[in-house]
Amino acid sequence: MISKREKFFDIARSASAIALAMGVAFALILLTSKMPGEAIKSLIVTPFSTKRYVWRILERMVPLVFTGLAVCIMFSSNQFNLAGEGAFFAGGMTGASVAIYMNLPFGLHPVVAVIFAGLVGAIIMLLVSILSVKLGANMLVISLMVNYVILQFGTHINTYVIRDPQWGGNGSYLMQKSALIPPIKYTTSYGLIFAVLMIVVVGLYIYHTKWGYSVRMIGANISFAQYSGIKVDSVIISSQLIGGAIAAMGGAVEVLGFYKRFEWNALPGYGWTGVTIAILAGNNPWKVPLAAFFLAYLEVGSGLMQINADIQPEMLDIIKAIIFLFFAAKNFLAPLRQKLVVKAALSELNENKSVEAEV
Amino acid sequence: MQNVLNAMMTPSFGYAILRMTTPILFATLAAVIASKAGVSNIGIEGIMMFSALAGVIFSGMTKSWVVGLLSALVVGVFLGLMIGFFALKLNTDIVLAGIAVNTLGGGGTIFFLFLASGDRGASNSITSEIVPKINIPLIKDIPILGEVLSGHSGLTYFAFVCVILVYVLLYKTPLGLKMRAVGENRDAADSVGVSVNKISYIALALSGLLAGLAGAFMSMGYMKGFTVNMAAGRGFIGLAAQAMGQGEPIGGMLASLLFGFANAIAINLQGAISLSPQIIQSFPYILVIVSLVFYSLSTRNRLKRIKRAAIESDKTEAKDNS
Repeated sequence: MISKREKFFDIARSASAIALAMGVAFALILLTSKMPGEAIKSLIVTPFSTKRYVWRILERMVPLVFTGLAVCIMFSSNQFNLAGEGAFFAGGMTGASVAIYMNLPFGLHPVVAVIFAGLVGAIIMLLVSILSVKLGANMLVISLMVNYVILQFGTHINTYVIRDPQWGGNGSYLMQKSALIPPIKYTTSYGLIFAVLMIVVVGLYIYHTKWGYSVRMIGANISFAQYSGIKVDSVIISSQLIGGAIAAMGGAVEVLGFYKRFEWNALPGYGWTGVTIAILAGNNPWKVPLAAFFLAYLEVGSGLMQINADIQPEMLDIIKAIIFLFFAAKNFLAPLRQKLVVKAALSELNENKSVEAEV
Repeated sequence: MQNVLNAMMTPSFGYAILRMTTPILFATLAAVIASKAGVSNIGIEGIMMFSALAGVIFSGMTKSWVVGLLSALVVGVFLGLMIGFFALKLNTDIVLAGIAVNTLGGGGTIFFLFLASGDRGASNSITSEIVPKINIPLIKDIPILGEVLSGHSGLTYFAFVCVILVYVLLYKTPLGLKMRAVGENRDAADSVGVSVNKISYIALALSGLLAGLAGAFMSMGYMKGFTVNMAAGRGFIGLAAQAMGQGEPIGGMLASLLFGFANAIAINLQGAISLSPQIIQSFPYILVIVSLVFYSLSTRNRLKRIKRAAIESDKTEAKDNS
């Protein structure tokens, strides 16, 4: 009885957080746009208006699923590791390099590229987690600094090593055709299938393996985990490695599935969005696709809003931050929850009384 | 290598150290004041971005640097209080609240910059003001030293004044005592009648104010105008400097000077040695990582030594008793 009401409360709470954020978005549009009707329509309705746009939502969802899953795993043990952003970038660059320089047959080539990317991501997180877990430096700060270092080294490689001087823009040589992940339809690549598989794998890992259980236990109560004999340090480090590998694989899948060259000269921001997704999904991998779909939908919508109306797509960051804040707020709508719980308890009490009276 | 040393021996290098230290020092003090009161402000980076933008927009509108600076501070305090509202009232994990403010600072500033000026990327169409530079009488006439110490933005001097102000606030005023009490043990402070929430809000507001000063310096001193992502991690470096300075204002200042020095070297090295500017730009961040690790190792060793000493003294005491 109570759990049913709790579920209802959770849904109501999520809906209110989203409604609040969209309310702010509408207010910003009404205040700043010369054509608010068109802007709101582009944001909300147009993404579902044609098949092409729906496929585009699925396309944008792919990198978000990877970084969302990565952050879910990394945050599950209550570690604030934000190097997913850097790992995603490094993974994209590694994947592109394998695609440019290695000669492999079609089919095998992208797989090898993604695996290499995963290895690089794991190495990055090995560094971050050894420095913080074993040597005691603050993980949050270390991981942020690592992002900046990766970006600087990455732009160095992009400017001096893999850059195609024949090409007008600032990008690498063309990746070989054999390495590109082919599209399912329009621009949505088979990376989508890979993302779905990854959700299943991570879902099973977190909820159906000993390691996943240890990770969640550490997140819930680190001292208890320690006393019950879990090797806390190695579990934390391994969870960070897996998270880094997944984020980096996401970077490679994004580059191989969506681009012809490596063109990133700034951190693309998917790692940060991954944090928002993990918060929306409550660190639950099974809910990641829903959260990723929602944010991909908003991303496509805000892109359309820029084309069809006069609103900058960065408004999305404002919406994201507001949703994020209210989802993470444990006391948001707490009075309502209180009322629901009391009501449930009272009705249960009354039922018991009437049963007793009958007896 | 000779080139590098030559570049470091000039007075302009000393000047650059102080200039590069300024935003990091403000950010460090913002982190110090929050953490002393037991609330961590991860959102300093995002606050810096918003304050930098506010300073440009409002000083551009009014042609007054005072108004620009004040609006940067108001924005800083507002965002500090917002973190407080979510953390204290709605029970959001304060680290997450800070991360949200940083997300907001990344895209939100681009959005509002476009609204205010139609610019994307940099505030090219706004003619903004800067906080005036100050030539210190007497000192400015001393050779070399005068060139290093004089002629900085007013905010640079104020940053060092703030070290003293924060120290005095924390250790010489009743409010500071309450802040430290709350930071040490919230429940104990609560039990003796300190209004814990009020103190936390005040600490976050002051932290936001200092982060606002850091942002104002970026766009109204360090540079004239706003560019996207101009804080470039300095808010985060402030968090590192706070940790290395053991959470104290003076220690934080020393750590800030170290990172300011690294930044000044990074600028001076470009062209002097044959590494790419990108690699050189990564040096300050690498230095932060290395020094954080060294700091944490040395604290660990000290703790170990203290423990060992305590065990030994226990033993000798036991012997004496027997």
